[in-house]
Amino acid sequence: MDEIMEQKRRAEDLNVSDEHDAQKGKYMTFKSGNEYFGLKIQYVNEIIGFQAITAIPETEDYIKGLINLRGKIIPVIDVRLRFRQPPFEYNDRTCIIVIDVKSTVVGLIVEKIAEVVEIREENILPPPSIGRGDKVQNKYVYGIGKVGDSVKLLLDPDKLLNDDDMSVLEQAGEMNNSEEVDDK
Amino acid sequence: MAEEFNTEGMLDIYLFENQQLLEQLQEMVLEQKDADCFDEDSINEIFRTMHTIKGSSGIMMFDNITAISHKLEDVFYYLRESHPEHVPHVKLVEHVLEVEDFISGELEKISNGDTADGDPKSIIKELDAFLDMLKNGDGEDAPQLAENVHEEPKQFYIAPVATDASRFYKVYVTFSPDTGMANIRAYKIVYAMKEIAEDLLYFPEDIISDESSAEVIMKEGFKILLQAQCSEEDIRKIIGIGYDIQAVDIYECKADEFLQGFSDPEPQPKIDLESSVEVIEARAEKENEPEKKPAKPQIAPGDFVIKSKEPGKQKKLAKDKPKNEKAAFISVNVQKMDQLMDLIGELVISESVVLQNPDLKVPGLNLTNFNKAAQQMAKISTDLQNVIMSMRMVPLTTLFQKMNRIVFDVSRKLGKDIEFEMIGEHTEVDKNISENISDPLMHMVRNAVDHGIETNEERKESGKKEKGKVTLSARTEAGKVWISVTDNGRGLERHKILAKARKQGILDDEKPDSAYTDKEVFQFITLPGFSTNEKVTEYSGRGVGMDVVVQNIQAIGGSLEIDSIAGMGSTMSLKIPLTLAIIDGIVLETGTSSFVVETGVIKEFVNVKEDMMIHEPNGEEYIMIRGECYPVLRLGEWYGLKEYRKSVEDGTMLIFEVEGKTICLFVDRLVGKQEIVVKPIPPYVKKVKGISGCTQLGDGSIALILDPVGLIE
Repeated sequence: MDEIMEQKRRAEDLNVSDEHDAQKGKYMTFKSGNEYFGLKIQYVNEIIGFQAITAIPETEDYIKGLINLRGKIIPVIDVRLRFRQPPFEYNDRTCIIVIDVKSTVVGLIVEKIAEVVEIREENILPPPSIGRGDKVQNKYVYGIGKVGDSVKLLLDPDKLLNDDDMSVLEQAGEMNNSEEVDDK
Repeated sequence: MAEEFNTEGMLDIYLFENQQLLEQLQEMVLEQKDADCFDEDSINEIFRTMHTIKGSSGIMMFDNITAISHKLEDVFYYLRESHPEHVPHVKLVEHVLEVEDFISGELEKISNGDTADGDPKSIIKELDAFLDMLKNGDGEDAPQLAENVHEEPKQFYIAPVATDASRFYKVYVTFSPDTGMANIRAYKIVYAMKEIAEDLLYFPEDIISDESSAEVIMKEGFKILLQAQCSEEDIRKIIGIGYDIQAVDIYECKADEFLQGFSDPEPQPKIDLESSVEVIEARAEKENEPEKKPAKPQIAPGDFVIKSKEPGKQKKLAKDKPKNEKAAFISVNVQKMDQLMDLIGELVISESVVLQNPDLKVPGLNLTNFNKAAQQMAKISTDLQNVIMSMRMVPLTTLFQKMNRIVFDVSRKLGKDIEFEMIGEHTEVDKNISENISDPLMHMVRNAVDHGIETNEERKESGKKEKGKVTLSARTEAGKVWISVTDNGRGLERHKILAKARKQGILDDEKPDSAYTDKEVFQFITLPGFSTNEKVTEYSGRGVGMDVVVQNIQAIGGSLEIDSIAGMGSTMSLKIPLTLAIIDGIVLETGTSSFVVETGVIKEFVNVKEDMMIHEPNGEEYIMIRGECYPVLRLGEWYGLKEYRKSVEDGTMLIFEVEGKTICLFVDRLVGKQEIVVKPIPPYVKKVKGISGCTQLGDGSIALILDPVGLIE
């Protein structure tokens, strides 16, 4: 115990400003659609292969259902559906990233896991503001990270999970629109 | 950060330990509440408990708890040392319980993150008054004595900090040869010295209760070891030489000599007549009393030494209580328990994955050894499962003790003479259940004491000879726990309830009173606002709150039964499931999804023909079964599932009966009956109507638990 404490203290001495020294600036990247996204690695619990999902009726379409993670039952959401992109076929490359955001454990279904990259602070740009409501995913993306020639869209997991007021409103709006169309 | 964590850990331990102590204390006090007085063990135990609480609260700086526990400690110190006669036992019990309540209340506040701001002053005042009364009842100078002694320990705590300027003295007091009651006079000196003393020891020690100590004092003088920040002169002033004191000799000594006590042969007194005799005597005394020496060094500052009294001094004791073995417990975070349970569940599943692995199905394999090992492993994992389930189970003892307390309090306040009996308090239930039935049970017990049992006069009038009695019993039967509260009081009066029910318009006007069975009639008292009691008392009005009891019990899947004979008493029985976590369920499938329904609500399964269906133009469906018409709900349609069976002839109808309503649920097929572990749907997913939770099936897949009440709505 003492040794560990000692090490910790030393580590703190060396780098007082940051507790997650080893994890700082590291991002888990994955592919969804044509884009690569990045998540701060602190949020990522683990990555598991795709497994059978039990659907829950009457929930948002992007909540695919529940999976059994070693006895713990967690919900999984489909990132593509969350971004309002067309659904994709699940195959053996499909992975579930288990993330823990403020003690809410949720699985993210993604098409392909890429790699863990380090993105320095100075290589992260704020997302370009296009016209409002144009690109829905903009609100989940808090920055754009440059890695060599490619760019990764950095996701705010809290918004990804919880910020559904807007989407619900939009959905409602869409539904109204479609009904109107039907009526005509 | 590490330090912060430590304090938090300390607080947790503080709360946990003290709550345990208080529980034990209450149990012990209630056990002996009917005796004439506490037995010696209990007095010591209460004293020690209070001492421990005082100490730990002092460390944690909860001053009010420290103060009040200190006061009660004083009282018990006095009881322990002075053995006063005629202790008003019930009064004492009440005081102890009051203090216990106060501390529990404060602990509760602390654990909720509030400040422990309760004011103990009034209780302390009462305790003071009580202590004074005890002392005065004992007569003579006794009050001084006791107070004196108990103040000392307080000084012990200060001593280590204040020693720098302290000086140590040995004081020898010789009384005039014709002084009477030298022990009491000696105590006066001790009492006076307490003003200046940081630490004080004296010999003979037992001057309050031991009459013979007077003789010893007369013969050998009275010896005091004093630690104080004052000069020899000051001490002399305090003691003074009066008509009774012949000589006072004071020697300054060193701290370590002081700690060694009187056994130290070192101090060479000034040569004068009295003291030289004394020194000789003191040396002789050391040899005469060998048992005293080993005891001495053990007295470290801050310790009370609890001596067992010689048999001759024992006073009347409460009934000899059997020494019950206290089981050793450790407290475990519930989260860790849940985690363990999850892991074991997972282990069982992965075990079946291994044992039924398709790789083993290759023909021609010799699996004899494998099968043996597999069998052994299956046995262990089953045991493991049973153990973890049993870990969640707690005995009802604590809960029953709480009821004991309520009976005691309420019956005292109402002036009723009531006996309380507990049967089967070791019955175990799931921790959640135990927490959930506490309030309803309390209500029922209060009702029984307040309304069930008549007043003493009424009992006499109605010719009842025996004492009022409330029995709380628990037993397990058919996977359910029955908890009954029985009283031998006046019982429920059928005609009164019926009259009231008529007045409130609950009864069917067409039906005569006789058409209602006793059970039905008694159930009326569980309706909201239904009370036949004319006068509402502080504690209950029969009927008021019974509806809440029923609601709470139903919430955990239990039910209430009432049985009563007018004039003879009544019995209220709770029937509750053993555990909330595991239910007996029917697994069924619709489309590609699995669902589970609690077995209890299913009335029957039927396979139906198309011609039994009735279709309404608005799309609603009904079914005629044996001349009765039920609404039909198609599960697949209801939840918009995929690939479910459309034709009623391909699937199965489940008939549910919940809250008096009956409904048919159409599902694809039944899979089987299984005991399932209920898990909540993760809160991230919003609540779906008709689904109350989820569970893991044997193959590791997840099934949703259907909630019939939600479906009916």
